[in-house]
Amino acid sequence: MKTGKYDENRLLHLLLDMGEMLLASGAEINRVEDTLQRIGRAYGAAKMNVFVITSSIVITMEKTDGELLTHTRRINYTGSTDFTMLEQLNALSRNCCINPIPLEQFHRRLQEIAEPKTRWELYVGSILAAGSFAVFFGGTFADGIVAALVGVLICFIQEKITGLFANTIMFNLFISFIVGAVICLTVRVLPVLNMDKIMIGDIMLLIPGIPATNSIRDMLMGDTISGLMRLIESILWAGALACGFMAAIWMVRV
Amino acid sequence: MKDVILQLVMAFVGSLGFALLFRLRQSLWVSASLGGVICWGGYLLAMYFSGGQIFISGLAASALAAVYADFLAARKRAPVPLFLIPSVVPLIPGSTLYYTMSAAVQGNTEEVSHYGSLTLQYALSIAGGICIVWTILSIFRRYYVLRTNRIK
Repeated sequence: MKTGKYDENRLLHLLLDMGEMLLASGAEINRVEDTLQRIGRAYGAAKMNVFVITSSIVITMEKTDGELLTHTRRINYTGSTDFTMLEQLNALSRNCCINPIPLEQFHRRLQEIAEPKTRWELYVGSILAAGSFAVFFGGTFADGIVAALVGVLICFIQEKITGLFANTIMFNLFISFIVGAVICLTVRVLPVLNMDKIMIGDIMLLIPGIPATNSIRDMLMGDTISGLMRLIESILWAGALACGFMAAIWMVRV
Repeated sequence: MKDVILQLVMAFVGSLGFALLFRLRQSLWVSASLGGVICWGGYLLAMYFSGGQIFISGLAASALAAVYADFLAARKRAPVPLFLIPSVVPLIPGSTLYYTMSAAVQGNTEEVSHYGSLTLQYALSIAGGICIVWTILSIFRRYYVLRTNRIK
């Protein structure tokens, strides 16, 4: 495909958008680098140098006439995992590699994929996950129901006031304290419930188990920097969760 | 036995919950949640045969989940994490993390280190099992590509 300088800048801009969306939707570092590289080649780059870590993307494109073009983006936004988006981006990249569509159309497809979606799945998912894991780890069905109700509260808090906090650590500290206090008070009123099982069910919703697993996997697969960053982040988040819950248990002793 | 069936059912519902939370496409819900059942079933079997060794059992279970996810991803032409993440969810050490915390509140250092090391073992075993499977699969794929190229 024959392109002018303007088009190449535009392409790199779109690739950065796509990389940012891929990272937010929960793709592995490997996948992001690979996808951006392939699309760049499909649009006529002689060589693509893509470097992705969790907080930044750098792309250098080498054109067929030897000219180099570099774009960089700082990634601040940590989105919630969105597998539908990941799947659509994957399909788009596969399409573009076989048949490089015009950049205008590429841009429109990206905008379509980024459109906000319905929220009910998040609530139903929280109810199912919190309730079933409370029973899974040995609680009674009553424990499961309480854990599910608290799961709705967690989802509500996550949706409404995440934006008020400077970072995820502060947010986790806050939400785990609220959730811990609510559970402690409920168990105080209804002593037949098992506090530990209810808390475990709701911790499963908050615990950064997936980022922690991904980070170790990234490191073992060779992306050491990203792996370390994510690992330390998830340890800090888990630490904040533990502090919040401990403060709640300590203050509202049953 | 009744406990095992209850756990497997709850593993299914729990994985389904996470599939919804992570906005998985509706037509993939059942196959992804079955991964949770397979993973936990594998864990229980491995616990039985290894005499209760958590690290080995977690490794075997997450490796099983990785094989299942890879198989489904190839069949349904979708990225691997879509199936892998909901499948390994039952192995996430939420309960041992809680007991670590509650021991810390009570000031019981012995229990803190006991449960803390369990939490770490679970986390490492999940990632380890996945990596072992991926390494083996990628060797096979490369070998296959090399062979087909030579025939051409």
